[in-house]
Amino acid sequence: MEVEVASSAVSASREISANQRPVTNRSPAKTRRGDPYLDIAAYDPEADLMVLNLGPQHPSTHGVFRLKLYLDGELIVKAVPFCGYLHRGVEKLCEKLTYVQLVPIFDKNDYVSPMMNEQSLVMAFESLLGVEVPRRARYLRTLLAELQRIASHLLWFGAFAMDLGGALGGGSTLFMYCFRERELILDVFEELTGCRFHYNTHMIGGNRHDVPAGWAAKVHSAIDIIEHRLIEYENYLTTNRIYLDRTCGVGVVDADLAMELGITGPILRAAGIDHDLRRDAPYHAYDELEVRVTTDIAGDCEARTRVRLAEIRESVRLVRLMIDGIPEGPLGSRKPIKTNLAEKSERGHAYAAVESPRGELGIYVIGGGANRGASPYRLKIRSPSLHALSCLPYVLPGHVVSDAVAILGSVDPIMGEVDR
Amino acid sequence: MMPYFVDTLRSLFITMRNVLRKPTTVHFPMERRVRAERYRASFALLHDQSGEELCIGCKACERICPSEVITVDAEKRESSVTGKKRSYAKAFTLDQNACIYCELCVQVCPTDAIVMTRTAQEPAFHRQTLCLNMERLYDNERTQPLTWANASRLIEMQAPPAKEPAKAQDNADADQTGQAR
Amino acid sequence: MSPYLRALIYSLVIITLLLTVTAWSIWFERKFSGRMQSRVGPTFYGPFGLLQPVVDGLKLLQKEFLIPESADRALFVLAPPLTVILALGTAAVVPFGSEVVAADLDVGVLYILALGSLTTVPVWIAGWASNNKYSLLGGMRAVAQGISYEIPLALAALVPVILAGSMSLTDIVNYQIQHGWFVFWPPGPGFLAFLFFLPASLAEANRIPFDIPEAESELIAGVTTEYTGMGFGLLYLAEYLHTLIVSAVASALFFGGWDGPLLPGLHWMVAKTLVLFAGIFAIRWSLVRFRSDQLMGICWRYLVPIGLGLVMVSAIWVQLAKASAQ
Repeated sequence: MEVEVASSAVSASREISANQRPVTNRSPAKTRRGDPYLDIAAYDPEADLMVLNLGPQHPSTHGVFRLKLYLDGELIVKAVPFCGYLHRGVEKLCEKLTYVQLVPIFDKNDYVSPMMNEQSLVMAFESLLGVEVPRRARYLRTLLAELQRIASHLLWFGAFAMDLGGALGGGSTLFMYCFRERELILDVFEELTGCRFHYNTHMIGGNRHDVPAGWAAKVHSAIDIIEHRLIEYENYLTTNRIYLDRTCGVGVVDADLAMELGITGPILRAAGIDHDLRRDAPYHAYDELEVRVTTDIAGDCEARTRVRLAEIRESVRLVRLMIDGIPEGPLGSRKPIKTNLAEKSERGHAYAAVESPRGELGIYVIGGGANRGASPYRLKIRSPSLHALSCLPYVLPGHVVSDAVAILGSVDPIMGEVDR
Repeated sequence: MMPYFVDTLRSLFITMRNVLRKPTTVHFPMERRVRAERYRASFALLHDQSGEELCIGCKACERICPSEVITVDAEKRESSVTGKKRSYAKAFTLDQNACIYCELCVQVCPTDAIVMTRTAQEPAFHRQTLCLNMERLYDNERTQPLTWANASRLIEMQAPPAKEPAKAQDNADADQTGQAR
Repeated sequence: MSPYLRALIYSLVIITLLLTVTAWSIWFERKFSGRMQSRVGPTFYGPFGLLQPVVDGLKLLQKEFLIPESADRALFVLAPPLTVILALGTAAVVPFGSEVVAADLDVGVLYILALGSLTTVPVWIAGWASNNKYSLLGGMRAVAQGISYEIPLALAALVPVILAGSMSLTDIVNYQIQHGWFVFWPPGPGFLAFLFFLPASLAEANRIPFDIPEAESELIAGVTTEYTGMGFGLLYLAEYLHTLIVSAVASALFFGGWDGPLLPGLHWMVAKTLVLFAGIFAIRWSLVRFRSDQLMGICWRYLVPIGLGLVMVSAIWVQLAKASAQ
């Protein structure tokens, strides 16, 4: 399945893409849908199919995730995903902990992009409690979210290369490079909040940590290096013939399938649907920023990679716009946290969603729970990775085992938010 | 067939160029990177300038901890410095096995008693080693570099503006069109 | 000295040296790959981490060699030593100097190709005997890949044979000393033959980008999944050994063997081998791997036809050279 990618398309990925313009010149593909409910006993009465567990313990299932594959030789006939190995009962825990205590717990939900988790959670709580957020805090939250998006996509890119090339080989080289760049962003976060990961820097009504002196210069230098190195990565991997063979035409998720399953994020945009919460339903400072959204129409692994790399570039541009112009003002509109029971609510409900690197991360909260209203009554997390994983039984049949790993990598599931 | 060779050479060029760059890793634990000023890794309890223990055993940190790792036993006794009776913490246990380093205990402390330190606890062979008791927490005050953040500083950073004259208040309100969904 | 005694001594010396170089190639790989990945490799054991292979070997030796209960015991235990033996056997005909060769066979190239194709068999045995689906997939992929890539390997190795007129490696090197290295002269077929010999031998040795039998991200450890301790060590060692010998063979066939000014021949041969070896490592740590059907596609659609063409071109060259000499 050799696909010629025109050189103009390759160089187009180096420029920042504008809204609504697909980055390739390939035609939109349709998913050859497999049947997730295929009756194996009827399909294969002599039991010739091999059952292979891409089991919970596997070097490349992106966390504990079991994928039961029915194989005819190396061809996948039916794929059954099993999640739940990382279920920690977060939604139940939310009924016991108070609003104030929940923010650090939620860092661990989508553990690769904690800023988005915290942001969606406090947005939901602020909506429920009717709290306004001062402008400085909104701006800072947006800035941190965009930096987190860069870091998350860099991690994904390294892990995807490892899936393609192996931990002992070319993939791990790109993994190390991506992590080297990601450390720059984590250092920036460490300057601001004190933790490189799982920050607990959002609070209801604002942020907890303010910008220290010299932070803007550090962000600038980190961003400059990352933008420079992205070109190197593209020369290294995304224009490599072997990589293109592995990812072009593999794992096509077309627009119909994505819409049916409720998939959002880069997978939806790679399928051709132009939907990004930052532009279509802006929150925080996004209504002042013009977010340029990249779409692609091929819907395969290569398209998703392009979309994510373009998103990194877009985030770099947004950070540059924002970093020098953080408005002055207070950092929070509520009094700082002094007790556990600071925020109380009656029975009401609210939904807030952010555009996380994986899609629409939504929190639906019903207030008025335990601790005399200081805990939610029920909190439901709409996790984008769960919807993304549900496309696997449709997409995987017809591919081989090597493709299964590549598709799983490009779908970018984070089991923390799939299983909660 | 040619694109395979050309792309191989291009990838090789990039990796070889990296061989000539300085490596970005350091020889941990012989060399350690300098951590940021606000880096939070372990805990310490503080004395104030007169040698008095700052912790009054109010259990605010125990109540707010999301992971319930802090256990405080309070008592009332005479201070060795001022001679007056006040409340103290008789026993203070912080279990780092389960701590999530969220800094909430630092934030709520009314007397700035508990702060975090900038060097992580060394890895341990036994769970008890990672369970900090009062003696070790006061040890950390002397031996480890402390982070910038304590309760007063955090609150000062996070506080909304104090009540100002009406004119300034109107201007401030015009900015605060906080939009929560 | 009796020829058997001479062969025995040379074999032992060459085997010892090869195993030592392979052990230290582990150190070199980790340092080199570390530098490529912007980090330092091992530095703890010995100056610059030079004792790391010793420590690795000791670590593997002290682990228990677990045999799964449902595995085929005899075959499971047989496979790792067999890989090493076959890999070492290939080194018997490689000339490291004008007189430094363990056994100067008349059919040296044929012997190398034969043993090279046999090295696929213990990998397959390991895959079957492990009674593990991942190992089975790895073993089957290894067989498919191994037998497919023998053809371009043979065709590419045939070009120096035709040009030199003999299958003995010593004769090929002597021809190159007189007429110029095959990779440069005759321009065209020699260089292209080397360009095809390298991927084909990488595929025989299961190295990235052709390492689907041990694809770590897909098949956990592929064929070596169930092996622990020294069994794993031997399989690991055999892969490096095979790569080293392939680079030695390539430098003898294409780069003039022990030819070179000033320094004695042995030094040049070793230098060329190590340069090629380092190049193979650099390729390993720079490329992602192929999918199995794409790998087969490259072999059957590109390498085999072009290889046949190369053989014809070199045959025509030899005839023209003979005609012009008369």
